[in-house]
Amino acid sequence: MADNSHYEYSVNEVPPLGHLLLLGFQHVLIMVVALGLPVIFAGQMNESPEFTATLVTFSMLSSGIGSIIQALRLPYLGSGYLCPNLCGPSYMSLSLSAAWIGGLPLMRGIIIVAGLIEMALAPVVQKLKNVFPLYIVGLVVAMVGISVISISITSFFGLKLQGDSISGIDIVIGTVTLAVMVFCNLWGNGFIKIYCLIIGISIGWVLAITVNQEYWHNLALLKNCPIFALPKFAMLFKPITFNFSLLVPLIVIAVGSTLKTFGNLLAAQKFSEPELDKVDYVPIRNGIIADGMATALSGLFGAMAVDTSSSNIGLAGATKVLSRWISVVAGTIFIVLAFFPMLTNALALIPKPVLGASMIFTGCFMICAGLEQMLHEDWNSSKTFVVGIALFFGLSTAFLPSLYARSPKIIQAFFTDPLPTTTILAIFLNQIFSLDRVYRKMRSYYRSGKDISQNR
Amino acid sequence: MLHNFLYWVDMNITVRYCHIICYTALIVLITVFFSGCESRYEDLDLSAYEYRDTKDLIKFVYDASLIVKKDGIRSLQYFKDNRQRYLTPDRYIYIYDTNGVNLYHAGMPHLEGKNLWDLEDKNGKKVSQMVIAAVADNNNPYAWVHYSWWEPGQFYPVPKSSCNFKVITPEGRVVLVGGGLNYPLEEREFVRIIVDDAARLLKRKGASALAEIAHPASKYNFRDVKVFIFTSTGKLLISPVVNDNLADFKLLDCVDEMGHKPFNEALNKLKNGKDSVWQVFLAKNRYERVLIKKSLYLHKSYIEGQEVYVGAITHLPQPPG
Repeated sequence: MADNSHYEYSVNEVPPLGHLLLLGFQHVLIMVVALGLPVIFAGQMNESPEFTATLVTFSMLSSGIGSIIQALRLPYLGSGYLCPNLCGPSYMSLSLSAAWIGGLPLMRGIIIVAGLIEMALAPVVQKLKNVFPLYIVGLVVAMVGISVISISITSFFGLKLQGDSISGIDIVIGTVTLAVMVFCNLWGNGFIKIYCLIIGISIGWVLAITVNQEYWHNLALLKNCPIFALPKFAMLFKPITFNFSLLVPLIVIAVGSTLKTFGNLLAAQKFSEPELDKVDYVPIRNGIIADGMATALSGLFGAMAVDTSSSNIGLAGATKVLSRWISVVAGTIFIVLAFFPMLTNALALIPKPVLGASMIFTGCFMICAGLEQMLHEDWNSSKTFVVGIALFFGLSTAFLPSLYARSPKIIQAFFTDPLPTTTILAIFLNQIFSLDRVYRKMRSYYRSGKDISQNR
Repeated sequence: MLHNFLYWVDMNITVRYCHIICYTALIVLITVFFSGCESRYEDLDLSAYEYRDTKDLIKFVYDASLIVKKDGIRSLQYFKDNRQRYLTPDRYIYIYDTNGVNLYHAGMPHLEGKNLWDLEDKNGKKVSQMVIAAVADNNNPYAWVHYSWWEPGQFYPVPKSSCNFKVITPEGRVVLVGGGLNYPLEEREFVRIIVDDAARLLKRKGASALAEIAHPASKYNFRDVKVFIFTSTGKLLISPVVNDNLADFKLLDCVDEMGHKPFNEALNKLKNGKDSVWQVFLAKNRYERVLIKKSLYLHKSYIEGQEVYVGAITHLPQPPG
């Protein structure tokens, strides 16, 4: 039985209706960050505003449905943790390539297959108990937090385009927002503590429109948005195609995305059920199946591929509010918002430094939860090398992208991003450095077998 | 419901915090009301620009031009007394008269009072003359000029883009208030301006304009952006890559990294009645793992009744990270 004194709301607890709605909305504020991805995608494709609006709407529907099925514990479907879905960056470059080659039909096909691959990988993960000792699980969770550093920091500094200038005002806005969130979380009680993110975003937003007229004027553009609009459902009836030349990169990215979901679900489990002394792989497996299904569903809708959100899990850890019903409500709010473009656009206008501060705030909990778990058990030289070497090469993919751009193809295929690279290397090295223990076990087994036969 | 909502919260602390938040919000809203309702830049249409760097330069120069418009020639002393305000590591203000005489330069005071009409940059571009021509060009609302210059104390050329405002002072004198941006990022608007100008020049002057457009020191060529011209059959009048006729270069068959034919696709769009079109394509950069996005801009024009296409290629802004 879980000790509920750790939580404001434990994983199965249903908060009162007012809290449920407000907490769901707090998670929605994080989820809207990802709506930038379909907008960027449509911009890269030079698509019309109507296409962009439809892509955003269907992406929101997919994210909402994904968040709901992830939280419900249906048979073989859904982890039952507070782990909402949003448009993940994992499939962005592949979706773009697919859209360039074969337009939306191919993009839909690719995303559907990616979801199916993820679902197929889910049962395999359950068999990985020996592959993922607790310290590697901790490393993966920490890497999930580390993998959002880039987008968090660029947002914190208000950077919209590569190479552009940074405004001092944006740095002030981001700093104040982050400070408010941290202070509310550290020294606030009850209401203040669990709503630290909403309070931080509200104060940061008001400060932004006060000191930077650009943010004020962006809000003025909302009057041109319709309050209610239906997406173009005709998109659903367009053909779905597949191109086998994209299969290899698709598998690599799908495995990376599965590992990221695996890390997210491990973190969600750690926050939700800290009393577990070992990983419970059943909800993890079911969570990956749900994530794969949500990804396939987004392909069917012609939306951007969705993924579990590490920022939302970080928020849950920060506020100790872990009720899975909040994910259901957040998903429902997201689905409803999809039909109200004015509200969605208003939320999408939250200034970037404010969003960056939110992501840093939630990322802190992911990184530290992972490190805490990693260093919780007895340490030895073997673990030092597993973690050290995996981190050196994993982080180098982010520090030195141009180096990997000029490396041999095989290296480029495996050394993609910090999270999958570190995870794969850690698993591989852990097996290699455990060979001595396997050898000792075999030898003692052989000797004990010999002794028994001699005694006979 | 309110009882449920707050049933477990320490009411005293909550009420205290709520007071603080409400008062803060009230003060902020009053400040917003009095300070933020109107922008002093409402006269500026910056919708064509994507980078903050570019927009900030226009605002920077606009602010300076308002001072000159209000205080006239005596404002020059103000600018000279406040050089540091008009000189940052990225940009600076200058003022010229219409004869090319430099009246003020925030970063290079030694130029002040000198006639720079014939001054050329490293590529032979006559910068002052280009500025004066640009402010008269209706197709170039902020009179953009692109050239190469240097920075005091440096020994290598620095690429620059400058925007300029024509100002009539209270004394009735016409001066040009401009600002330079060091190491500018390419805006699509820069490309649109030169391609549209070249198309118009071609229509007006015919084949005799080709040499002017192709000249490296003309405004039609800056940094990596070069204007090229071809016919509907793909015959090159000004090549985008190499001018040698022996080179086997079939423009309309060129494909991007995805196998698309950007020139063909752009021409198909132009056949549907449009005068100009943007066509995005993907290119490889050996220092980046992902393909980079570029854009081709084509504008329809005519030489002696024959339809030709004027174009240029530029990078497109990439998301950060």
